Parts: sequence; C-alpha cells; structure tokens
Amino acid sequence: MNKQLLGVIDATTVHDDLHELSIHRSVAAIPFGGRYRLIDFILSNMVNSGIQSVAIFPKFQYRSLMDHLGSGRNWDLNRKRDGLFFFPAPNLDKHYTGIGTLDHFADNIDFFERAAQEYALIANSYTVFNMDFQPLLDWHIKSGCDITEVHKEGKSLGMYLVKKTLLMDLITTRNETGYSNMRDVASDHDSQFHLCYYNFEGYASMVDTIDQYFKTSMDLLKPEVWKELFPKDRPILTKVKDEPPTRYDNDASVRNSMVANGGMIEGTVENSIIARGVKIGKGTVIRNCIIMQKTQIKENCQLDSVIVDKDVRIEAGTVITAPAESPAVIRKGTVQGVGSRS
Amino acid sequence: MQKKKCVAMLLAGGKGSRLHSLTKNLAKPAVPFGGKYRIIDFPLSNCTNSGIHTVGVLTQYQPLLLNSYIGIGSAWDLDRKDGGVTVLPPYSESSEVKWYSGTASAIFQNLNYLDQYNPEYVLILSGDHIYKMNYESMLNYHIEKSADVTISVIEVPWEETNRFGIMNTDSELRITEFEEKPDIAKNNLASMGIYIFKWNVLREYLIRDDQNPDSSHDFGKDIIPLLIQENMNLFAYPFKGYWKDVGTVQSLWEANMDLLDKECELNLFDHSWRIYSVNPNQPPQYICPEGEVSESLVNEGCKIEGEVSRTVVFQGVTVKKGAVIKETVIMPDAVIGHNCVIEKAIVSPGVYVPDGTIIKPDESENDITLVSEETIGELQSN
Repeated sequence: MNKQLLGVIDATTVHDDLHELSIHRSVAAIPFGGRYRLIDFILSNMVNSGIQSVAIFPKFQYRSLMDHLGSGRNWDLNRKRDGLFFFPAPNLDKHYTGIGTLDHFADNIDFFERAAQEYALIANSYTVFNMDFQPLLDWHIKSGCDITEVHKEGKSLGMYLVKKTLLMDLITTRNETGYSNMRDVASDHDSQFHLCYYNFEGYASMVDTIDQYFKTSMDLLKPEVWKELFPKDRPILTKVKDEPPTRYDNDASVRNSMVANGGMIEGTVENSIIARGVKIGKGTVIRNCIIMQKTQIKENCQLDSVIVDKDVRIEAGTVITAPAESPAVIRKGTVQGVGSRS
Repeated sequence: MQKKKCVAMLLAGGKGSRLHSLTKNLAKPAVPFGGKYRIIDFPLSNCTNSGIHTVGVLTQYQPLLLNSYIGIGSAWDLDRKDGGVTVLPPYSESSEVKWYSGTASAIFQNLNYLDQYNPEYVLILSGDHIYKMNYESMLNYHIEKSADVTISVIEVPWEETNRFGIMNTDSELRITEFEEKPDIAKNNLASMGIYIFKWNVLREYLIRDDQNPDSSHDFGKDIIPLLIQENMNLFAYPFKGYWKDVGTVQSLWEANMDLLDKECELNLFDHSWRIYSVNPNQPPQYICPEGEVSESLVNEGCKIEGEVSRTVVFQGVTVKKGAVIKETVIMPDAVIGHNCVIEKAIVSPGVYVPDGTIIKPDESENDITLVSEETIGELQSN
C-alpha cells in the first residue's frame, strides 16, 4: 500500500453516565455484543483498512484493556515492524478533554517522530461501526484537506484524519495555539487550515450513556444492522476464547437473540444479547436484557430490561424488571436475590 | 537444545475412506466434530493439557488443510521457541522418496526429528479418536512399571472385540499376547493406538523393522508382536472415560449426538481440560424471531430462522425459515434452504441444501444420510 495510515486510538474517555459499567474498566473495554469490547470496532476497522501500526492512548483503569489487547495477536498486530503500541498517560493529575488530547500525544512525541506513515487517523474508542478508512483517505487527499472530521448526519463521530507532519506541528505548538485536542482544531473555522467533513453513511453509534449502550445493543438484533456490522470480509476481531458451542436444553426457548459461545441455556430468552459462558436456568425468563460474560442466572428468575455485568450470580426465583427506557444495571461480580440486597 | 523428557508423534495421515466424501479433500484428523472442533484438536489439546509441548504431526494424505490448520500451533499453545509443533510430511532424500507405508515406517522416516530432541520417552498418538486423556498419568505409570512399552487400553463391549486389537494381560497388566481382531476374544481390552516407548527401545525396533522385508511396517501388526515375542516389558494402561473412533459416517454422527447428552463423559465445558481449536472470528449466533432451538449445540456465526432440535450446528451455518432439522450434524458454512426437512443426517461443509429438500431416513434402515455436493442432487430426486 502506498498511502499509509497510522492508527491512533484515544482511550482516555470517561463518561459519567457509563459509570456503572466502567468502575473497574475503561470505556474502551466495556463488553459489547456478546463477545466484543467497544474498542474492537475501531481497532478492527483500522486493521481491516490496512493500518498496520496502531497506538492506544489510555488513562484510567486500563488493566482489562491491556489484558484484552495483549500482544495484538488477535488483530494481527504482533509485528516486528509496526504493530500495537500502548501509551498510558504518565500523569493522572493532568486533565485531558476531548478526543485526541495533544498533551497526551506530546508525552509520546517520539512515537510520532519515528512512525513511517504519512497520515494519521485519530479516533475515539467507543463507536460501534464498520467502516473502511481507505475511501476516507482517498477523499481527504483528493479534496486537499488539512484536517478531515468524520461525521454522521451532521454530527461529529470523534475521528480525525490529518497528515502526520501537521499533527506533530499541532502537538508542538499547542501552547501558542491554545488547541488542546483534535476537536478544538476541527471546529476552529478562523484557522488557516482547510477543514473538511466526511459523511459516513453506514450504521454508527457512539456509546456514551447507559441508554445509548442499551439501544445500540438492541440494534444488533435488527438483521440489517447485524449484517452491516459483521460482514464476512470485514470481520470485527476480538480476543478469542476457547469456549465450546452453546448448549440448548430441551426446555430452552430462544427467540430474537444473539448468543455467544460457552453458554448453557435451559430457560426462555427473548430480545436479548447473551455473552460467552452464560448459564440460564430452567423456568427463567430473560427479556430485553444484556447478560455479560460468565454470569449465572438460576432457575425461575424473571429479568426484563436489565444489563447484567460480568460474573454476576442471580439466585433462583429472583425478579428484576425495569422500564425499557431506563434499564437497570447489575454490577460486576455481585450476587442478587436470596440472601442479598440489590 | 534442551533435552526433552517426552516427545509426542501424532499420526495424522489417515485417509478415512469409510467417511466417504467427507474425506475426499480432507485427511480424517481434519474432519469437523462437535460444532467447532476438528478431530485432531482432541489429541493436540490433550498434549498441551498434559504438559507435552513437543509434538511432531505426521501428515501424508490431503495435507494442505491440515497443515494450514495446524500452522505454528498457536491455537494449542504449541508455538514454542524450543519444541512446539512440527508438521512432518513425507520427503525425498538423494537416494529415495520416503513415503509412509505404515505407522511404524512413518515414525522411522522421522528418526532425525526424534534424534534432535533425544527424549527419554516417545508418545505415539493417532489423530482420529475423540477422547480426553492425561498422557502425563500414563507416562508416570510407564515409568513406575519400568516398561519398555505401555499401551493404553479400553474395555470394549464383548460383542465388538472382533473389531479391535485385543491385549491379553496377566494380573499385573503385563501384556502377554496381542490379537488383531480375534474371532473369539479372551479379553475385552482393546488397544487405543496410544503407545509410550522408551526412546532407545523404539529406535532399535524401528531400525530392525525397516530392515525386515517381510514387515508391513505397522505398530499393531509388526512392532508390538515382535516386542512381545522377544519378552520385552509391555504393559497395558487401562483408560476409563469417553473414547470413540469416528471412522464411519455412523460413528461420527453418534459421537456428535453423544455431546447432546448432558451426562456425556466427554464434557466440553470443563475449563480445567479445555479442548482448544482454531477459533474463527465470527459474531455470536443469531436466533431469529421465527427460530427455535432445543437440545442442540450451536456455534458462533450461525443464523437460525427455522426449527432445530437434537442437532449440532457448526459455525457460519444458516437455517432458513420453515426448515425443520432433527438429529443432524450441520458442518461449517452449510446453508439449509426454506422449508427443508432433515433428519438423521450429516450435512457436509459449505453445502447448499435447496429450498424444500426432504431428507429422512428409510423406515427400514437406520442409516445416516451424508448430504454432500455429490449426493444432494440424488437426494432431491428421491
């Protein structure tokens, strides 16, 4: 490939409204879609677009993110040349705002100096979408843009394409210009830069609230969204687990749901997303729920509009329901039902 | 190179002709099993789980898929700097082409592989059985007994003894006699085709066997009987647990159906003895509003719009609306058309079953139908 892109993922973002799901993990590492983490979408899109060098800039609670990414092997980023780079913020007291914080980049300016790629794509870590960045790059070059911001229906998707040399200028001159992040640069219409907006037509959802998390998850159950997010030739890659196929019992009844591997399902599941290694007992009815990895739900429970985080145990006979417009969230590792207070 | 205690040699060259078209372009160890695995995942995972990290895989028949599937062995954690998995195809030397003529000749042709590790013990495995076994326990038994050779055996039903190599032993489990497929068996201990040899003994007997023009160069037919005849120390290692030779369409189907039984001894959900596999990147399975699944195993990447019961569904399979599938194995990426009825069958990988196809077993026979590209036209016209 002659027009090379450098991938830069800003994983520093904190969303207060996602707090329940991000107490122990960064937003980038929130489980999504039964077997993925939010960062898998941007990371896979980069890899599928031919990007071979990706830098991740995390700040808080990045242990689970590091565990998930490992050497980058699952994304083919375990390379001798280029590959996956991890640049945690060296100073937690520094306050970062917006996507693509220039201060954070400045602490790792040598990485940008050494990178051989001519262009850089700076992106957030929590957008669920499937996009090829090559047409974006072609369009950026053809249109003579300095900075291109990716949009969806007139709104920023928090992704920026820029020449690497210009990015380095922006980093080194940040104190004079007053730009603290890429959004500042892309929204300053008085600047001398040629600012462009590229409209992405496909499905894209920025997961920044619990409601948005729930809504985006439920969108997966629409065949047209599922098809668009998971085409065979542009797969969303993730850390693989050696789980067996999911086993359905003779009493199981599952409709309109996505179910990942390693599950044992004896109850009823409707309009739900079931992650890897989930057990659902006999007589239990799960509706409009998102059940994360390794959670166990015993017999005769009823759950409606609930997001159940990882490793939760729900004792037999427990009823948890919430209105669809404001789903309940059950915290990771807790025990619900008999003998416990939720 | 670090000296290895035990090196495994996995015989994966089998054609498996009784699996018919399933092995037309595929060695038997590469045949899909259990919704996401291939048969060879079982011995390879057993090696990793038993702490054996040096494995030679002997390939011969249709090796392309098997070779690329094994790759550098990372799926089984066998990508090691020292040891790991090595694919060993037949090769030619200046003087001759070393084609594998029997199980013993396959190992003999690769003496140089074993010489470079110079292990204390060699574990010989076949790549076409479904089972979970701790080879380390067998090795400890072998060492305890000071055996020259230990052969793993399993009790088979008496009426089936004529299908197996039967080991006759004394009360100490020392092997006194080996009978290949006896008409009237004295014993029901069948060889599982798993051997542990002292390396120096194996080396000596392989060289002698190679020089014997009358030998068929097979462990069961030649090497083992000779060892017994020469009063070497052979012991039987009794194995208890699930073990199945999936050599026929019927047995392959049965072994898949066994997995649907909750009490099945072959527990795939046991995290302490995982069966590792090359995990394709597929989204979770999608059960449509019209879909219905019961008593089944379903892998990722499937789209189920029809009714599926007592069925094993591999990755990437589509079952369209109105289709009713019972007691069937649907291999990867097969598509079952609208309103098909399929019972007691194995659907080959990637096969497209046209809308409205009806495949049911004959009332009189209990045969399993193999649905493949070759047979699909014929099945439809019936």
